[in-house]
Amino acid sequence: MTTSAPRDKRLPNPYRMVEDQFAIGVQLLGQVLILWFQTLSYMVRGQIDLKETVRQAYMIGVLSFVVVGITALFTGFAMSLQISRELVQFGADTAIGGVVSLALVREIGPITAGVIVAGRVGSSVAAELTTMMITEQIDALKVMRVDPVKFLVVPRYTAALVMIPTLSVYAMFIGLIAGIVIAQGAANVPPDTFMDSVKQTILDRDFSVHFLKSIINATLIIMFSCAIGLHTRGGAEDVGIATTRTIVWTMISIFILNFVVTSLTYAPR
Amino acid sequence: MSPRKPNEEPVLELKNIHKSFGDRQILRGVSFNVYAGEMLGLIGPSGCGKSTILKIICGLLEPDEGEVIKRSDEIGLVFQGSALLNSLTVRENLAIALQRRKLSKTEENRIISERLKMVGLEGYEEYSPTKLSGGQQKRTSFARAIVNDPKIILYDEPTTGLDPVMSTIIEDYMIELEQKLQAACIVVTHQYSTWTRAGDRILLMHAGKIVWEGTPEEGINSEDQYMKQFAHATREGPMLAGAFEG
Ligand SMILES: Nc1ncnc2c1ncn2[C@@H]1O[C@H](COP(=O)(O)OP(=O)(O)OP(=O)(O)O)[C@@H](O)[C@H]1O
Ligand SMILES: [Mg+2]
Repeated sequence: MTTSAPRDKRLPNPYRMVEDQFAIGVQLLGQVLILWFQTLSYMVRGQIDLKETVRQAYMIGVLSFVVVGITALFTGFAMSLQISRELVQFGADTAIGGVVSLALVREIGPITAGVIVAGRVGSSVAAELTTMMITEQIDALKVMRVDPVKFLVVPRYTAALVMIPTLSVYAMFIGLIAGIVIAQGAANVPPDTFMDSVKQTILDRDFSVHFLKSIINATLIIMFSCAIGLHTRGGAEDVGIATTRTIVWTMISIFILNFVVTSLTYAPR
Repeated sequence: MSPRKPNEEPVLELKNIHKSFGDRQILRGVSFNVYAGEMLGLIGPSGCGKSTILKIICGLLEPDEGEVIKRSDEIGLVFQGSALLNSLTVRENLAIALQRRKLSKTEENRIISERLKMVGLEGYEEYSPTKLSGGQQKRTSFARAIVNDPKIILYDEPTTGLDPVMSTIIEDYMIELEQKLQAACIVVTHQYSTWTRAGDRILLMHAGKIVWEGTPEEGINSEDQYMKQFAHATREGPMLAGAFEG
């Protein structure tokens, strides 16, 4: 084509690339923070569209139950098998329930639900909002003086705040069931013994941290997908780019913040 | 067009608007006024910045330079691509525009039915926009833009993709609304029948500037090199010279 700009033939400068990526990242984090505050300010004023929130809760939560269930079941199987094998060698069969449940409540439950929902929901929200941007649906809202944050982000975030903790708890229970099955089958530990050990090990605090982590995950998933969606312009190919970008950013931030919470709450003193 | 009072203030004023996207200069100093009860036809080759002007007027884009003065906040825009919310029904698409008026459900439904009937879409209330044809989407978008009786109405290709009969019906509604609401209207169009029938005054754009202004009759008979080429749709003339060569 004669009309296109001449392609830059020089090799990419790695320093410049890092610098550009850093600037883009900082900009995105700024957009996420602003969006989060805007969303919260609607929510504290009670300006939540209930009908739309219920619809979103269905899309985010109900449609994720099967995937989260299957993932939690097999993660639970694999993890319990490893733990049982090691503990049996030390003759600590009765502690299997405790160790498995600690791992589930503190780490595996929130992470599994978070990652699966990030993949399923984060990507679809980013794709939906980006499509709305490029087909001018968001512009139409603005012309009608409807704030896209109130109309699109608030119901999705409210729904996620309810459904993602629910999915985390559910992932934890499915994992526990997997643990009971493996403990019985592979280490001959009866379910009663397993559950006694669970009760002795798990503290109330573990549930609070579990809840905190899933709230953080819900925030990361919805805010990254919405911020990216609402700032993408261009054509159809940008939908794919926005989706990938959302998954990368949410997954990375879920793992990092999960570690931050763990280190703040469980670091040995 | 209604007769203009002496010293009447325009409802909409554009002063020396400039706009670039990256290093491409799209608008290079566009100025015009639109008065109440007047329909301005904005015509020009594809890509010359007509939709951009409409977006600047309703605040979706910021001009790099220049000023837009609006003497009414109630603006309706019919988007070139309809821009209906696909997750909502036809009825909800109109309802959301009415939302801020906090009407009763019955009043809301009455207005919505009335507007849908006007554009020939009664009975389509519960349809998803994705299940409508392009022309039906356009008409829904038209109904949505005028649901609040705006004082400034911007139409971006309102008749493109409609059959000739429906085009005429929509043009008639545009003329009727202009009079009834005493609205300041701008219609961007490539369709000859639309700017000749509905336009009171025509602006021809080329290369980011307004190159001709006059009534539709003057436009059709114009000897101006730009307007003549555009009105007669010929290859010979200053517009798009060399665009499709090489
Ligand atoms: N958001 C944007 N970012 C970059 N370029 C843009 C943007 N919006 C429009 N443009 C460019 O500005 C130019 C004018 O676009 P605009 O949509 O205003 O044209 P138009 O006169 O409405 O054309 P048409 O008759 O085909 O609808 C085009 O070349 C387009 O590529
Ligand atoms: Mg256009």
